[in-house]
Amino acid sequence: MNGAGRRPRPISSRSSSGETVIELRGVSTTYEGERTPALHGIDMSVRRGEFVAIVGPNGAGKTTLLEVVLGLLPLSSGRGSVLGCDLARERYAIRRRMGYVIQNFELDPLAPFLARDVVMMGFAGSLGPLRYPSVHDREAAVEALSRVGMSMMADRPAGKLSGGEFQRLLLARALATDPDIILLDEPFANLDASARASVGSVVDRVNQAGATVLMVSHDLHAIPSRCARAVLMDRGRIVLDGTMEAVLSSREIDELYGGCCH
Amino acid sequence: MWLPPALMITAVAGAVLAGFTCSVMGVFVVRMNLSSIGFAMSHAAFAGAAFGIMIGSDPLPMALLASFLVALVIGPVSHIAGLRPEIVLGFLFSLLIALGFLFLHMVPGEATSGAALRILWGSIFGVSRYEVVALGALSAVVVVFVALFNKEIAAMMFHRKLAEASGIDTQAFLTAILFMTGFSVALSLKLVGGLLVYALMINPTSTVYQFTFDFRKMVIGSPIIGMTTCLAGFWASLLWDLPVGTAIVLVSAIVLAGAIVASPKRRRG
Ligand SMILES: Nc1ncnc2c1ncn2[C@@H]1O[C@H](COP(=O)(O)OP(=O)(O)OP(=O)(O)O)[C@@H](O)[C@H]1O
Ligand SMILES: [Mg+2]
Repeated sequence: MNGAGRRPRPISSRSSSGETVIELRGVSTTYEGERTPALHGIDMSVRRGEFVAIVGPNGAGKTTLLEVVLGLLPLSSGRGSVLGCDLARERYAIRRRMGYVIQNFELDPLAPFLARDVVMMGFAGSLGPLRYPSVHDREAAVEALSRVGMSMMADRPAGKLSGGEFQRLLLARALATDPDIILLDEPFANLDASARASVGSVVDRVNQAGATVLMVSHDLHAIPSRCARAVLMDRGRIVLDGTMEAVLSSREIDELYGGCCH
Repeated sequence: MWLPPALMITAVAGAVLAGFTCSVMGVFVVRMNLSSIGFAMSHAAFAGAAFGIMIGSDPLPMALLASFLVALVIGPVSHIAGLRPEIVLGFLFSLLIALGFLFLHMVPGEATSGAALRILWGSIFGVSRYEVVALGALSAVVVVFVALFNKEIAAMMFHRKLAEASGIDTQAFLTAILFMTGFSVALSLKLVGGLLVYALMINPTSTVYQFTFDFRKMVIGSPIIGMTTCLAGFWASLLWDLPVGTAIVLVSAIVLAGAIVASPKRRRG
């Protein structure tokens, strides 16, 4: 495997309990039409209830890693399983139990969707074909909107929300279905300091309630305090994988972030 | 212009059903960014129908075949060649129209035979009873499809990758939508004509888009506009003795222009 020569440096052993929910072994993936793989020999395992930050510079492969976990990209080598299901063969079963907040998504301002419709869309996938949201599901959607502080916005056209409001709407959509694993790709990108704190605490609470959280962020200061583990990526590889403090004080992060984070 | 009642009923039913299926599919095609595929499919249907006439067979199966073929080829080809959608659009449009004209030119006997003109201009005599039955069946399939899968369709209109990531088999739905689009286009071809059929898909959905932020209203409003403009155009063609396709497209274009001018959507906060 490609990454064999450059194993991530182990920093400390983690003491998490619970079963493994994400297991990647020697995973590589190459985008169609590209020569070099976007991920090389990724080894990673995540236990139920963990809160993991995925950090690294632009183009490191953070988004690609989330998409591999979602089964959106084919593996060119290696194996992976998520929630006990094989990544290659049981993609749809896996996805129905995950919530995903996608990076940088701009909606046409005139798009014909109200905020509450967008939250309900989470159920379109999780319920599967020919099953329809129940009263309980609708209540969960209302509840998810209020958790991100967007109750007032339910009847607003989604395209007319501000960047931060829209980001919170996507988070509500991901939370509404009560997923086992939540994948957040730069969830703080458009948020001001107070929205950042409140969204951070929403994610904290969801994690406290048992959900496993993978959060991509290149802004190291934005990562909520509950997050105990960090995975540092660079050029398609995992460079470091350890406790938040250990990764933040490592020399690798100084090199990649130019010492700006201390 | 006076028509015998049986022909009149067939023609009216054809206009209404073509307006219905094309405008519903138009909502999905436009909102799912399939416009270039839909555009290419409708002109492929024209070229296919022309080919059918040239070899002296029924134009309908050839129209269907050609539009499916293009749908099958255009995705992968433009992906592999890395072509931008506008390029594919311009290239395929001219190629398919050129092929259509070539086939019509090669029609044996009278070059301006009735059948050839019909698929170019559209004609109320063009739609036969069995095509009206087929359009009716297609409309029923479309209604059932939307009723059963509206939550998947809405999620895909919002964002395809996010829909796929949430566990929807988007490829299967896209295939179904392109199939229904191909049938809608091929069956409506003889009514409005090969060069104009795409307007039946795009104009009603764009009209309703000016007025609502609710996708349910789009899915309901678009066929209402589609059927109304088809009927109005049909009526105008009888009144002023115009080619029916031309009249329908002009009416729907005027309605769309009015909607853009009157749109409250851009003003409201
Ligand atoms: N659709 C694509 N096709 C080809 N290459 C891609 C595609 N998407 C990403 N890549 C490449 O894969 C690598 C990893 O990209 P990725 O989007 O995972 O980075 P990232 O860590 O999320 O960066 P950012 O912080 O900018 O979001 C980059 O080199 C990028 O150019
Ligand atoms: Mg990214």
